Amino acid sequence: MSLFWIVIRQLAEIEAMAMSKKVITREEWEKKLNDVKIRKEDMNKLVMNFLVTEGYVDAAEKFRMESGTEPDIDLATITDRMAVKKAVQCGNVEDAIEKVNDLNPEILDTNPQLFFHLQQQRLIELIRNGKVEEALEFAQEELAPRGEENQSFLEELERTVALLAFEDVSNCPVGDLLDISQRLKTASEVNAAILTSQSHEKDPKLPSLLKMLLWAQNQLDEKAAYPRINDLATATLEDPAI
Amino acid sequence: MPTTTASAVCTTVGNNILLRLTSGERDVKLKALRELKNQIIGNRTKKLSFLKLGAVPAVAGILSDAVSAVDVADNDENDRIVKDIIVQSAAVLGSFACGFEAGVRAVLDAGADILIQRGCLVEEMPLLKSYMEVVDAGARSLKMIYQSKMAPKYDFLQEENMEFLLSLLNNESENVSGLGASIISHSCKTSLEQKLLFDAGVLKRLTSLLGGSLIQRDASLESIATIFKNNPEVVSQFVGPDTGRTLSCIIEIVKDRFARTRLLASLCLIVIRNASPCYLQDVGIKTKLINNLLELLDDPGRVGDEASFAFSSLIAEKEDMQKLAFEVNGVDKLYNHLQKGSLHPRRFEGILLALADMCSKLECCRSRCLSLQVLKLVVDALAHDSSDVRSAACMCLRSVSRSIKFIQNLSAGSFMNETIVIPLVRLLDDTSTAVQVAALGAISNIVVDFTTRRSTFIRLGGVKLLVQLSKSMDSTIRLNALRALRNLIFLAEDKCKEEIFMELTASLLASLICDPEPSVQEQALALVRNLVDGRINSVEYIFAEDGIILDAVGRQLRIASKAEIEIQGMYVLGNVATGKESHKEAVMDQLLLRAENKAQSCIIKFLQSNDSRLRTAAVWAVLNLTCSSSPGSSGRLVKLHDAGIVSHVKNMVNDPCLDVKLRVKTALEQFNSFDDSLASTSCLQFLTVRAVGELSHVVDPSSKEEESIANYFRFSMKKNKKKKSTRTVKFCFDVPADSL
Repeated sequence: MSLFWIVIRQLAEIEAMAMSKKVITREEWEKKLNDVKIRKEDMNKLVMNFLVTEGYVDAAEKFRMESGTEPDIDLATITDRMAVKKAVQCGNVEDAIEKVNDLNPEILDTNPQLFFHLQQQRLIELIRNGKVEEALEFAQEELAPRGEENQSFLEELERTVALLAFEDVSNCPVGDLLDISQRLKTASEVNAAILTSQSHEKDPKLPSLLKMLLWAQNQLDEKAAYPRINDLATATLEDPAI
Repeated sequence: MPTTTASAVCTTVGNNILLRLTSGERDVKLKALRELKNQIIGNRTKKLSFLKLGAVPAVAGILSDAVSAVDVADNDENDRIVKDIIVQSAAVLGSFACGFEAGVRAVLDAGADILIQRGCLVEEMPLLKSYMEVVDAGARSLKMIYQSKMAPKYDFLQEENMEFLLSLLNNESENVSGLGASIISHSCKTSLEQKLLFDAGVLKRLTSLLGGSLIQRDASLESIATIFKNNPEVVSQFVGPDTGRTLSCIIEIVKDRFARTRLLASLCLIVIRNASPCYLQDVGIKTKLINNLLELLDDPGRVGDEASFAFSSLIAEKEDMQKLAFEVNGVDKLYNHLQKGSLHPRRFEGILLALADMCSKLECCRSRCLSLQVLKLVVDALAHDSSDVRSAACMCLRSVSRSIKFIQNLSAGSFMNETIVIPLVRLLDDTSTAVQVAALGAISNIVVDFTTRRSTFIRLGGVKLLVQLSKSMDSTIRLNALRALRNLIFLAEDKCKEEIFMELTASLLASLICDPEPSVQEQALALVRNLVDGRINSVEYIFAEDGIILDAVGRQLRIASKAEIEIQGMYVLGNVATGKESHKEAVMDQLLLRAENKAQSCIIKFLQSNDSRLRTAAVWAVLNLTCSSSPGSSGRLVKLHDAGIVSHVKNMVNDPCLDVKLRVKTALEQFNSFDDSLASTSCLQFLTVRAVGELSHVVDPSSKEEESIANYFRFSMKKNKKKKSTRTVKFCFDVPADSL
C-alpha cells in the first residue's frame, strides 16, 4: 500500500514544484511528500476501477466487502464479459462470438473492425492446429468478402494467409500472429467494445495516472535533480544524481 | 478462383439451417435460430445469401407463432423455450435490418416490425422481470429498423401512438427508452409533429436521459435536435427553469469523452442556436463550438466526416461566426485536412463546403485561401468521381473567387486561368443537374475580369453552352446560366458582345424576359441592362428584330410586381435613354404606355416605391431622358410633366435616401435649365460608372469592400477610355452579380 501512496504523493509533489534547477535531497523530498494529503476513498476508487475494468470479479467483490467501496458498474455484467475475454484468450473464438452475440447482438454488427479481428483470430487458430484445408475454406468464405469491403482488412488478411506459406511458422515474418500476444490483443479489443456498449470507460484510470507521473518526472528533470521513481513496480525513491 | 465452391458450401449449410427452422420441435428450432443469428451478425455476405434463401419470412413466421404461444401467467420450462425463441428470432430480424438496406426491406415486407412491437413491447411484458430479455431484444431490433430511412413513418398524430411512444421513453431499460428516442429522431419531420411532441412533454424525459448511459445520451441528443430543428416557435416556448438546466447539460456534454457524443451535442446546440435569436449567443459558447468541431475533424471515422457539415451549419450566413472561426485559424486547419489526400468522398465534400462557407463573406478568409494555394486542390476536385464533391468544389470556387485579389489576378499566375476555366466548362455538361448549377455559379464569378479568363472561356465554347443551358427545362439552370451570361457581358468589348448577342438572339432574350419564373425574368433584364451599356451602338441591340426586346421590357415593367424585376427594367430603360434621340423617344413611348386598368404610367408607382433602389432607378431614367444637351429633351420634359411624372420627382426633393436625393437634385437642376431661353450647353458630366446594388451578392452591401470593388472598376474603365467622354449622364450598368 505504501508504494501506492508514494507514487501518488510524488505526482502531487512534482506538480507543485517551483521552476528552478536545483538539487533536492531525499530528506527534503520525503518531507514534502508527507505534507501532501491524499484521500483514502480516492485510492480505493482507483483500485476498484482497475479491478472492475480488467474484469477481476472475485477480487472486486472481496474488495468491496472489505473496503466498502462501491463499484461503478454492476458486478454481474463483469462475469459475462470475462467469459468472453477468457474464451478468446484460450483460442475458442467461435465460443466467444456466440457469447458476445448473446450479451449484445449489436456489438459485432456495428463494429466491423472488431468482427474482422475475431474472424482473423479464428483463422489463426485453425492454422495453429494444422487444419490447413479448413483454414483455406474459412478464409475464402468468411474473410475474403470482408477484405473486398475494406482495403486495410485485405492487407491484414494477406498477412494472415501468408502463415500458410511458411514451413517454419514460428520463425517467419508474420510469426507474431501466432503469439499469445495476438490473442491477448484481440481479447482486449473485445473487452473494450463490450465496456463501451455498457457505457463504461474502456481503460482503467491507473495506467493514465502512472503515465502522468512519468511525464511529470521527465518535465521536472529539466529543472531539478530530485529523488526519482524509476521502477514503477516497486515505486522506490532513488537518490538524485549530483 | 473457387468461389463457386465456397458459396455452394454456404448454401448447403444455409439450407440445412433453414430446414431445421421448419422443424416441429422447439429446441431444434431454437438451436437453428441461434446458429443463424451467429452466422449473420457482422457478416453482410451471409445476410445476403440467407436473404435469398428466404430466411426472413421464415423467421418472421416463427416469431409470430411463438408470440401467440406465450402465456404470460405461465412460467415453466416450456415457456422458457418460447421466450428464448422470441428473443432469438427478434435478434435475427434485427440483425438483418442492421445497416443493410435489402435486409430492412425484407424485414418490413414480412411485417416484422409490427410483429416485434406486438410480441415484445406490449403493455404487460415490460412489467415482468422475466420478460426483460424479450423486451430488450424487441427494442434493440426495432431500433435497428428505425435507423434506416426505409422504416415506416411513425404517426404521432394518433393518440394511442403518442401514448405508446411516451411509455417507451419512460421505460427504465436503456434499449427501450433508446428506441423511443430513435423513433422521434427518425419520424418527426413537420413542425406540427415537433409541436405535438413538445407539448406532450417529452423534453423533460429526454433531458433526464442525457444523464443516462451512452446509448440514452446519444439517442436523446439526436431527438432533442430533431424536435427543435428549424422551429423557432417551439424554441421560443422552451423557457423557464428547465431550459437553463437542459442547455447547460448539453453544453457540458460537448466535452464528453466519446467523439460521437461530442458531435451530437454540438449539433444539438447548433440547431437550437439557429432556430432562436436569444439562446447561446455569447462569445464563449460560440468559440467553444467552433473549436470543438475543428477538433472533431481529426477523428478518422464517420464522426470526422460529419463534423465538417456541422461546422458549415454553424457558420453559414453568419459573418460573426466566420470571423471567430478565422481567428482560431479555421482556414488553415481545414486546408491541412484537405492536404491529406485520398479523402473519403463525404469528408472531401464536407471540407470543401466548410471552406466555401468560411469564404462566403470575408475577404480575410478568401485571401488566406489564396495564399495557401487552396485553389490547386479545389480545381483537382472538379474532376472527382463523386458528383457531390464536384458540386462542393464549384461552390468553394465561387466563394473564393469573390475575392478582390482573385478578380485582380494578383495571387494567381496566368496558369490558373486555363486550369480553372477548362474543367468548369466541362462541368457545364455534367450528368448531374446540381453540379451544372454549381458550376454556373462559379463561372458567374470567374468571368468577371479583364484578363484572359473571360477570353479563355469564350474560346472554349463557353457562350454556346451557356446559351444552350438558358433554354433548359429546369428553371434553376436557366436562372444560373443567365446570371453567368450577365456577368460575362459586363463591360465586355464590342466584339465580345456581338458574339454573345449573335448566339443568344433577340427572340430568345425577349422570351426569357417573359419567362414564367420571376427570378429568370430578373436575370434576363439584368443581362439586357449590361448589354446596352457602353457605347451608343450597344443600345441598338435592344431594337433588333423590330424592337421585340424593348417591347418585352416595357411589358414586364407594366405587369411586374416584384421590386427586383422593376429595378432591372428601369435601368434598362435608363441606359437606353442615354442613346440617340430615337432611342430616347422609344423609351418615352414605353413609359407613357399605360397598363390596363391603370390610370398612370408605371414609373409613378416606382417613384413612390418604398424600395430606395427602385426610386433611384426611376429617377435615373428621368434624368437621362431630360438631359440638357439633347435637342428633344424639352419636348420630352413637357410630356413627362403632362403625365404627372415631373411633379412627383419634385416632391422627392427631401427623399430619405441619399442616392435618390442627389439624383433628384440633379434632375431639378436640369428641369430648371429649360426655363432659360438660351439652350444650355452645360454638360453635366457624371463620370460615375456606378456599380449598383448587385455587388450585394458579391460582398456585403454598403461595406467597405463594395466601395473598393466599385472603385476598381471605375479606375479600370477610366484607363480603358481613349478620350474623355462628353456624354452627359452615365449608365448604370450591372456589376457582377453572384449566385443566390
